[in-house]
Amino acid sequence: MTDYTTTLAQRSNPDDEWIANMRQRFPVEHAVDEVFTRKLNRRNESAEHSMDFANLPALLRDFLVKQTGQQDLVVENLQRLSGGASKEQFTFELSWQPEGSNERTTQQLMIRMDPTESIVETHRLREWQTLRAMQGEVPVPKVLWLDEKGDYLGQPAMIAEFLEGTVRPPSDDEKMSGVGMYFIPELRTALQEQFVEILVKIHGIDWRNKELSTFDVPKANSTQACEWALNLWQRAWQEDTLEAHPVMAQAAVWLRENMPVVEQPVIVHGDYRSGNFMYDDNLRINAIFDWELAYLGDFHDDLAWATLSLFGGPDEQGKGLASGLMPQEEFLERYEKLSGFTVDPKRLFYYHLFSYYKISVIAAATSLRVAHSKKTHLDAMMNFASGLGYLGLSELNRMLEKT
Amino acid sequence: MGPEISQFLSGMKKTVEQVVIPNLTDRFAQEQAGIVVATLGFLEVIHDKALHYEVLENQLYKHLLSQIFSLFEQEKLDNKDVLASVEALREHFKTDSLADDCALRPYPFIRASNEVMKEGLCDIIQQQTAMPTKLRSEFEALLKPFFKDIEVRERSWVKALGFDTEADQLPDINELLYSDNKLRLPGNTS
Repeated sequence: MTDYTTTLAQRSNPDDEWIANMRQRFPVEHAVDEVFTRKLNRRNESAEHSMDFANLPALLRDFLVKQTGQQDLVVENLQRLSGGASKEQFTFELSWQPEGSNERTTQQLMIRMDPTESIVETHRLREWQTLRAMQGEVPVPKVLWLDEKGDYLGQPAMIAEFLEGTVRPPSDDEKMSGVGMYFIPELRTALQEQFVEILVKIHGIDWRNKELSTFDVPKANSTQACEWALNLWQRAWQEDTLEAHPVMAQAAVWLRENMPVVEQPVIVHGDYRSGNFMYDDNLRINAIFDWELAYLGDFHDDLAWATLSLFGGPDEQGKGLASGLMPQEEFLERYEKLSGFTVDPKRLFYYHLFSYYKISVIAAATSLRVAHSKKTHLDAMMNFASGLGYLGLSELNRMLEKT
Repeated sequence: MGPEISQFLSGMKKTVEQVVIPNLTDRFAQEQAGIVVATLGFLEVIHDKALHYEVLENQLYKHLLSQIFSLFEQEKLDNKDVLASVEALREHFKTDSLADDCALRPYPFIRASNEVMKEGLCDIIQQQTAMPTKLRSEFEALLKPFFKDIEVRERSWVKALGFDTEADQLPDINELLYSDNKLRLPGNTS
């Protein structure tokens, strides 16, 4: 791939002036700005992402010794996990004495680590804070340690407990986690109510009483929350795409001209759908994953994302299901009943369109960028995922036709 | 020319599928190899159509931009920013003229020219909020069918990646690009 134009060359080798221009054109939350700016500053480094993790066990051990003060802890069986498109994930066993315990134990844990450049550039401390804020509120893995800047492990990373369960139902044969996922009727019956209940709980959390210093708080009764979110995705497009696209330009104009007011911002998960929850043998949802895109904004954003046709496979009669679990109308009715919020169809439309804009950014721009520069752990998959990006663009255009 | 690219691709695909994957024990490696096989299958479908895809886009963008220029002249558009974008595109057409069908141009030339036109069109789209209402409406009317064409073309191009639940209703990329063994260009719908 050649940098055919000056703009493409600037995107591939951004200088200080170009980076400053991006930051000025698209004001975002401070933590988002930090990771996006870091990404651009590091883009000029030519190094490909290395798939060799032979040094990781030793680095991990040193890090954990520093964190726990236990010289005799043992790190074993470090293995790469499949899945995890945006972050590299590993499991390992740690033999140690947990705080408050008198006994030595062996625990299976997982590492969630930034690749050199990610399909979505996000802030590890922010994800860590979100997971800690969710502890005791909704099912999430317990996070134990954080290497915020990658000073110890080479890349920013966090370590969490490893939970057993099922993400992809055995009956499903899809290619990418969460895309068009199919649950058999018994599973749907068992999971659908929980799926709504947990989302309602997330939106009902009093975030003012949580330690979320990496979040900027948008003004209530304003478009600020939406504007920051739009700036984030538009900035990602402008920084990452390998090709200008007029449908994306048109969509950005429409999204900006039609930003809805957010009366009372809630914690938005940002990626709430099938593929991002896990259930146990008793068919209880025991974990919600992938909090890296969480922000304070409009609850319609999560509703739109969870009901995207792309993430919901059809039932046995061919009817599309929200996240593969229940018809959209039923999902929204249950949500309204449990939350006390009223779903505004206009805003839902807005965030559906915005969702396809995001998918197009992720899968038609950033995934191709990181694969092109070989800065991810899944280069082949990132190229392949562009197929999803062009479906997103197609859906985006169809929605624009209705405006 | 020999051997043909398709021969290399099919050989690699078979080898990875039947030799490499059965001997992999690591799940992550198996998954990645599976994606490589699927990618090779995709390349088998599209590799000999990339040049003509770009030639077609080149002609379609030139056609649309000509219509947009005429519209702006007709409506006597005087917005400086939009006119600057138009002027930049007119400058580009000194390198790749509106009348050039690009048939004898190398792939990188066409691809680069197309990208310049796409960037220019995006600039104008971003500035449409500064256009008078009537002009903006006419401008959008030109874009709508163009966007629909893009949608069908791109969706057909990535159809072989296997994500599309509407794949059966979409034309194959071969069918979309050619008619009577000839590239379908604007104005040539036979």
